[in-house]
Amino acid sequence: MRLLIVEDEPDLGILLRDALVCAGFATDLVTGIADADNYLRLATYDAIILDLGLADGDGLTLLCALRRRGGMLPVLILTARDAPEDRVTGLDAGADDYLIKPFHMPELVSRMRALLRRPNAALGVVLELGNLVLDTAARQATVGSTPLVLSPREMALLELLLRRQGRVVAREAIEQGLYGFDTTLGSNAMEVLVHRLRRKLAETGAHAVVHTLRGVGYLLGEPV
Amino acid sequence: MLVLAIGLAAASVGWRAIVTARGLDDATLQAQVAAVAGALATAPDGSPRLALPPEMAAAFQAVGGSSVFVIADAARRPLLSSDPAVAAQLAPYLPERDGLFRVPAFPRHPEGMLAYAVYSGQWRVAVAQTREQSEALVSSLLDEFFTTGLVLLALIGAASILIGVVTVRNGLGPLRLASAAAAQVEPARPGLRLPEAGLPGEAVPLVAAVNQALARLEAALGAQRRLVGDAAHTLRTPLAILTARLDSLPEAPETAALRRDADRMARLIEQMLQMARLDGMPLDVSQPVDLHVIAVEAISALAPLAVRHGVQLALSEQTNIRPVTGNHAALVIALTNLVENALTHAPAGSLVEVILEPPARISVLDRGPGVPEAERSLIFERFGRGQASDSTGAGLGLAIVTGIAATHRGSVRATGRDGGGAAFALDLGTFA
Repeated sequence: MRLLIVEDEPDLGILLRDALVCAGFATDLVTGIADADNYLRLATYDAIILDLGLADGDGLTLLCALRRRGGMLPVLILTARDAPEDRVTGLDAGADDYLIKPFHMPELVSRMRALLRRPNAALGVVLELGNLVLDTAARQATVGSTPLVLSPREMALLELLLRRQGRVVAREAIEQGLYGFDTTLGSNAMEVLVHRLRRKLAETGAHAVVHTLRGVGYLLGEPV
Repeated sequence: MLVLAIGLAAASVGWRAIVTARGLDDATLQAQVAAVAGALATAPDGSPRLALPPEMAAAFQAVGGSSVFVIADAARRPLLSSDPAVAAQLAPYLPERDGLFRVPAFPRHPEGMLAYAVYSGQWRVAVAQTREQSEALVSSLLDEFFTTGLVLLALIGAASILIGVVTVRNGLGPLRLASAAAAQVEPARPGLRLPEAGLPGEAVPLVAAVNQALARLEAALGAQRRLVGDAAHTLRTPLAILTARLDSLPEAPETAALRRDADRMARLIEQMLQMARLDGMPLDVSQPVDLHVIAVEAISALAPLAVRHGVQLALSEQTNIRPVTGNHAALVIALTNLVENALTHAPAGSLVEVILEPPARISVLDRGPGVPEAERSLIFERFGRGQASDSTGAGLGLAIVTGIAATHRGSVRATGRDGGGAAFALDLGTFA
């Protein structure tokens, strides 16, 4: 996986590059729009991390030009601008995710991984959390070397939670993802399903816990 | 003032009427005296002989003694009169020269008499009138004046008051509008100016000068707000570098503590930006908002923090929540701040609950130490952190909630809970 980092603050650029290299990405660091443009023409990247306030212009200019040329690679905007309208402008311009400074490096790495896992980004994705691994193409889950035996619905729920690990998946999203619009759901069908998944994760010793946010949804994370 | 002036005018007209009536009296007396003197001749025996025209003689009789003529000699002895008894009373007061004179009171005429005397040859001729008659004339004139004159005067007064009020109202209407506009000026609306259209010419320079002063204040306020916003904004990049550097350090208790410090600073800067943004621009609070969606967004944003703290976070919703309008993003910020505040104080293993209650209230309940009663209003002020708090609160979060509640015509307050902990209630004004 090769990433292009566009960041004009030298210290932050170097820290970003080091952290992403450490996380297993190949990275190139440029400080301006002109350089970024040249690099994008010369090499093939899997994703871009783009700062907006650059010395030679607005990062959004680069993003717009990229999308106009038909470039579909995921773009994560990294910026100090956090007004809701900035966020909307960024996403409208074709950004896939938006991270506001300051941010934590593990958060950036996991968002980057999530972007690269998007259905149109790559097929046959392997999702991981701690010792839990889910191969979405083979429909197989393992904890360490132990296979995790799951019903199709439990598998679908785990995939949904793993794709947004560390973040809340709303009940509504689970309902739509698992049951479709036609199925009428028993009042505690989702609770029962989550309970079974949680028990199986615990039984196999997975370092992954389904946290309940009653009335809101569920969050898959590492144990506290 | 106007009423006083009209009163004075009425009094002076009344006085003039009385004086005129008195003057008329004098003129009547004078005419009567002249007529009597004209009808006077000297008899061959040297005595006076009066040949009054019959209607005049009748008049002196008819008035029943209230009008009396007297003809006296140089020694003031009455020789001829229409009423000898009165003549005897009057004669001693005849003056040396032609003119008006008064007869003091005597039993028949307790008011005294008013008389006019002239010299006609060797005789003195006088006509006297009772005070009553003179007063009767005055009072009839006054009656006349009060019934017709005063009514007319009152009408004129009322009309002039009306015209005055209408003129002043019309002329000062624009000033009234300008005053109303001035009352609306506040930091949240620095762009307001007083309307200058239709103002009376004398007031235009004042209002224009006030508007120029407001423009200068707006510029200064804008500069100050930009400074806060820019400062917070500019701090983000170095803070991002600091955070990234700390994240690159190997795990150690010191590193964890440093990360917490950096996070706290980041949070404070974020809140300063929120505050600057809320202060800086008017919030559109006219959109229909869904409290459920707001609660889900706020809880989702803080779920990772709750998991890290080992605190349960739950949402429960009562029925009959009234639909409200507001600003979605601002309400998410407000609720996020309330929940974050609760998570900061909630002990591990406890429950932080967000409850939607009718008519349009969002409550956040925790099982932390609670807010001492004395601090319950203090904590909503900027940097007004309660003493019971540990030092993790940034001090702006609840002030931001207060600001957002106010723009929604709502309120936020803190209370205690049975069983310990704090309850924060954000009530939204319900819009028609």
